[in-house]
Amino acid sequence: MIADPLLTHAAADYLFREAELLDGRRWEEWDALFAEDGMYWVPLRHDQQDPFNHASLFYEDAILRDVRRRRLEEKHAWSQQPVTRTAHIVGNVRIVAQDGAGLRVRSAFQITEWRQGRDQRQLAGHYTHDLVGAGPDDWRIALKRVDLINCDGIQDPYEVFL
Amino acid sequence: MTDDMLAALVRPDKVHKRVYTDPAIFDLEMERIFGQAWIYVGHASQVPKPGDYWTALIGREPVVMVRDRDGAIRVLYNRCPHKGAKLVADGCGHAGPLFRCPYHAWTFTLDGRLRGVPFRQGYADTGFSLDDPEFSMRPVARVAERRGFVFCSLAEDGPGLEDYLGGALASIDNFADRAPEGEVEVAGGVMRVMQQSNWKIFFENLNDTGHPQATHESSFAAARRTVREKLGGKTPFQLHIIEGNGEPNSFWESLELRCYDHGHSYMDAIFNAPTDAISLEYRDQLVAAHGAERAQAILSMNRHNTIIYPSCSPHTGFQQLRVIRPVSIDRTLVEIFTFRLKGTSDAFFQRTISYTNIVNSPSSTVMVDDVEVYRRCQEGMASDGGDWISQHRMAGHDTPFEGGVLGAGISEVPMRNQFRAWSAYMGPANIGKAAA
Repeated sequence: MIADPLLTHAAADYLFREAELLDGRRWEEWDALFAEDGMYWVPLRHDQQDPFNHASLFYEDAILRDVRRRRLEEKHAWSQQPVTRTAHIVGNVRIVAQDGAGLRVRSAFQITEWRQGRDQRQLAGHYTHDLVGAGPDDWRIALKRVDLINCDGIQDPYEVFL
Repeated sequence: MTDDMLAALVRPDKVHKRVYTDPAIFDLEMERIFGQAWIYVGHASQVPKPGDYWTALIGREPVVMVRDRDGAIRVLYNRCPHKGAKLVADGCGHAGPLFRCPYHAWTFTLDGRLRGVPFRQGYADTGFSLDDPEFSMRPVARVAERRGFVFCSLAEDGPGLEDYLGGALASIDNFADRAPEGEVEVAGGVMRVMQQSNWKIFFENLNDTGHPQATHESSFAAARRTVREKLGGKTPFQLHIIEGNGEPNSFWESLELRCYDHGHSYMDAIFNAPTDAISLEYRDQLVAAHGAERAQAILSMNRHNTIIYPSCSPHTGFQQLRVIRPVSIDRTLVEIFTFRLKGTSDAFFQRTISYTNIVNSPSSTVMVDDVEVYRRCQEGMASDGGDWISQHRMAGHDTPFEGGVLGAGISEVPMRNQFRAWSAYMGPANIGKAAA
């Protein structure tokens, strides 16, 4: 399927904007991108089919996202002294499905993540965004799936949304 | 290091920082503790069919747990006796009817015995023999299984598994008893977290009732704000398990800490059994399987973390098992497994998954602060700011009983108990004998 180039451009712009909010630690604005029942999911295994009968690195609804973003701002969040900084690069943005309700967008990402005194780490993988809404102006995220290439490897802790 | 120096590192109420920072001591621990004690390998459900295998690290020794053709579980060193190559890749898989070395195609039956080598004529009159154990995969000295949980010991001598576990054995039995069918199985994947700290720091934290309020303030405070500002004061299950760490002093003081010989202990549960529809359905299933009285007895054994020193920690309430693999003096790998209780619903299992995602995963909003303070301990211990680590909280108030010691809620008795075992293992007089 070759999507309308303008629509692809709009979808890419949406993802770039999302990355900017994450890099800026603008959690509340980022969270507002989600639909009311939108989910944020980072599977633990490659090709994981569901988040219910298998553990995940993240599987967070609005309530858990709210706790995570509030914790990042807590004075006594020991593991955020100093805070995590990130730079996201999102590319290969492609609309892979589209219907009246919305669209599915696939992309690749690289995240450089750093805390002072810690090793800088590189994360990489693929995003799948299920966006609902009639057009770019009212798109909301129904599901953001983050497939890390090392999802089933040995992990250092994850603190911020990827 | 002389034995006298080693003995001087542990006192009744404090330990010297060297036990956490000296690589020579780590080497000795691998030999004298991990080379002697019963160490958790894996669960039988991970190798359901003959030829299925699961690899593990026992101290520094890579081993493979395999289901033999006769149904027995073997634990073998994962090493080809020819050139030393590891025979199977780390993780799980299926060997087929034989292990086959990827390097020169030596083959071994599933109990490790050498079955065949290519170029047989080349071995004529060389002293090589298919029957010589020198050319077979070496089995570990002892293997024992309890309710599917497989342990091994690299030492020929020492107490049997059940004597070794003492009062911690009941935690394993209760884990399986909680299943209506009396059996559990590994399900839902494994998480692996690398911690930048000594393995003993992790064990000391498990039943440390003094730390949750301080270490986990960020997560329970955030959860409370979400409950107040977004949920009208009602706490859903997923936030309840985060908020548990924010209980007041009086709560932690009310808990019982029961410690057993060989370093084991448990802490009373900090969560009561939930009473939602899924939990009630589960309770009914257990009653149907065992009768009301027995079901009540099973559920009333409600322990939070159990420490099975020095290799794992079951959490029976939410069907978790954390396995601790020391990597070096300041690196520790923790593997987190979830279990299904056979005879329960998917919905019931999904609570186990939620708990591990929210509380025990590398992306947990709870555990990240633990991992941070472990690292700070490791870095601070290495400094010249002081030599001793305090374990004074309620020291001198432990109550001995046959097979262990009992402490009250906020006592540091689980740590003192672990070092009692540590000293016994590390003392040269006890080489070849497990520690009491």
